Amino acid sequence: MSAPPPRSTAEDPNATSSSSSFTFPPEYSFPPFFTRQTNLTTHHAQLTKWASLVLAYCRHHRIFKLSLSGDPTTTTTTSSSSSETTGGDGGEAAGPDTTELFYNRRINRRLSLADIREVIDFLRRDGRAEYVTTAKGGSAEGGGSGGGGDVAWIYWRTPEEWASLVEGWVDATGQRGSVLTVYELVEGEGTRGSEFHGLDQELLLKALNVLVKRGKAQIFGHEDSLGVKFF
Amino acid sequence: MGNSSSRITAQDQAILDLKTQRDKLHQYQRRITHLTDRETQAARQLLARGDKPRALLALRRKKYQESLLAKTDAQLEQLEKLTASVEFALIQKDVLFGLQQGTNVLKEIQAEMGGIENVEKLMGETAEAIAYQQEVSEIIGGRISVQEEEEVEDELAALEAEVAKKEAAVQRLPSVPDTQLPVQKVAEEERHPRPAAKKAQAERQAMLA
Repeated sequence: MSAPPPRSTAEDPNATSSSSSFTFPPEYSFPPFFTRQTNLTTHHAQLTKWASLVLAYCRHHRIFKLSLSGDPTTTTTTSSSSSETTGGDGGEAAGPDTTELFYNRRINRRLSLADIREVIDFLRRDGRAEYVTTAKGGSAEGGGSGGGGDVAWIYWRTPEEWASLVEGWVDATGQRGSVLTVYELVEGEGTRGSEFHGLDQELLLKALNVLVKRGKAQIFGHEDSLGVKFF
Repeated sequence: MGNSSSRITAQDQAILDLKTQRDKLHQYQRRITHLTDRETQAARQLLARGDKPRALLALRRKKYQESLLAKTDAQLEQLEKLTASVEFALIQKDVLFGLQQGTNVLKEIQAEMGGIENVEKLMGETAEAIAYQQEVSEIIGGRISVQEEEEVEDELAALEAEVAKKEAAVQRLPSVPDTQLPVQKVAEEERHPRPAAKKAQAERQAMLA
């Protein structure tokens, strides 16, 4: 977790923080926070603080997939205008440049990729993160579920918690026995105002599968047109 | 996808197909809206550069996109109406099924009762039984035997004797005295206490001191 060579903010187009509304904790401005602590107790405290910072940051920006390298194109968020302006099919859009999460320009300190992975692994053990896996079963950038890829799910709400929210909405709106499309749940007018409106479709499917296991829902249809019936 | 013991019907699949089509139209509308915004922006930029013919072309394209948008709006309305009709028809089907079940249960209960004739016959028999019972009650209640009459008279005599005894006990009480109490004397003594009383009071005060 050593400091990188000094980099001028003038050559950086994103020098001004995109998250002016997000308040970083005081330790974020403390250089040793970006350096791996050798003392076990201190290291555990450091990991705990980093984990809570990652969760808070992702919750604030509604980031569901986090690129460990900080590439904004692989980070999925839901901003109110993103899907409208891009004309995209899903709720996925280029999110904020997450390099600012692991790189503090003001004190010129960066968390190394190995240490970022350690934070993600720490979150994984707590059930708050998971490496994004490809259809073949490996992780997005190789290395399996343990080794970790380059993109990770950040569960500031676990699929079980999202499932409970969806179930609550189904009960409140009298949708039991109804057939709804996954797109409708994420982008529909009916869910506007609910917390899962604009949720990443893959994450919604994870949540719906929790309800399927509980016998509260059934997913059917084809890959491009999935529907769900609630019981 | 989903459970092996599928609870998904053909109607559910049909509704999903309709809703999927609706979603695709929504996405198409979103794309068209984005394109019209882009064409407007392009027209503005071209006009700023003084390229009027191309600006006009961009606005024509925008107009065409808007006409497509109007068409998709009409199609969306049709789809949504159809979806709502199918969903409501399914609810009606469930209601009718419920009514059918209720009717069947009622018929079964009525069959167990044996029909209207059986009910009328039963009611007639019940009325006859009630009338017979009333007749029996009247016969029993209307006649009292000689022995019972004597017992009633004996009980009355015993009650009379009891009342007479109570009256005699009341008469034996002492009479109330009619002499007046000496009220004035007591009042005077209170006003002018005797010397002995005064002395006793003084002693009591000395002890207290």
